[in-house]
Amino acid sequence: MDLSELQAELERLHVPSFGWALSCCRRDRAQAEEVLQTVYLKILEGKARYRGESNLRTWLFAVIRKTAISEQRKSFLRALKSKAGPNLTTERNSFTGEPAAEFERSEERQRFQRALECLPARQREALHLVFYEDLSLREAADVMGVSIGSARQHYERGKKRLRESLAREVSDYGVSWKRKENPGAVS
Amino acid sequence: MELAGNEKKIQALFRELKLEDESVVPGFVRLWNRAQATSRKPRRAFKTSFALATGLLVITLCSLAYWSRNWQRSQPQNSTVAVRSTTPGSTPARPPATPEPKQLVPNKAPDRIRANRPRRLTNPKLETRNSEPETTHRQAQLTFRNATLREAVAISSWQSPTATLMQSPADDVLTKLPQLDRSVTEFKSFLPNTPK
Repeated sequence: MDLSELQAELERLHVPSFGWALSCCRRDRAQAEEVLQTVYLKILEGKARYRGESNLRTWLFAVIRKTAISEQRKSFLRALKSKAGPNLTTERNSFTGEPAAEFERSEERQRFQRALECLPARQREALHLVFYEDLSLREAADVMGVSIGSARQHYERGKKRLRESLAREVSDYGVSWKRKENPGAVS
Repeated sequence: MELAGNEKKIQALFRELKLEDESVVPGFVRLWNRAQATSRKPRRAFKTSFALATGLLVITLCSLAYWSRNWQRSQPQNSTVAVRSTTPGSTPARPPATPEPKQLVPNKAPDRIRANRPRRLTNPKLETRNSEPETTHRQAQLTFRNATLREAVAISSWQSPTATLMQSPADDVLTKLPQLDRSVTEFKSFLPNTPK
């Protein structure tokens, strides 16, 4: 694929890519932006090359995921070196505070975000890819770099856990959220 | 993918989240241009950490080489010093039963050197030309052999400093066994207080 063609495709996928980067960076907007820029840099320098073996979207999401993980590792090491762990967390809270101000409009959205943050990374990824990015389980498995069976397991467990934690949150507010699960919902 | 019940609720929540995120998405062109600008920047060829590591390695290697050279040079000198220092120190109470190492060396060493010495050149001019380096070479050889000999003598004649404490006037009686097949007269002469 030509660079200009690739650029056009990347532009088309920019918004979902940013959403996925946000999810990989635990809703840290600045870090997500940095990760996405690093991904574009990798593509420009030829470090990440699309060979047409899979869907472009799946490939791009996998690159974003890997880059986010390595960036998080780097920032963790940087924090260890400078011994500025607490400062970083406060900084991160300030970043998350920006969308949190928007979320204050809806209590439900806040609860949902909290419940999402409580999920293990794999389960959160599986749910995000299926519900947010509208990917199939096979595509989600490709992005996560796991088998489809494993992706399905993460998806099911994540869904169950998210429902439980949301129900717990809702029951605190006096509203019953518990309903019976439809096991044949996922194809 | 068909969703029902709570899943629809979850999807609705995700959709809301997506809408929220779409409002804060940075421009693609801005990120792309920044990435392009970063990729165009010339990479710094000189890395400080790499240079430091290389420098340290070079310094270590140089000091090792210098130390090993000095160690090789000082090796024969040290052995001579060791012989000199150990010979009087280790046998302080020893009677001078063995000859001094210094006395032994000049008697034997020159003979050996003479035997190994190459034939002299007959041309007097050449002789005078080569005499100085030859003599220095010989002297060096001599000193080295002397040192080796001294060391050997010192090692062979070494005795424990407490060896004299083990000696007594009745050493002969203790070390020899009386022989049963000797005559009575010999026994009598051996025993001091018996009438002959």
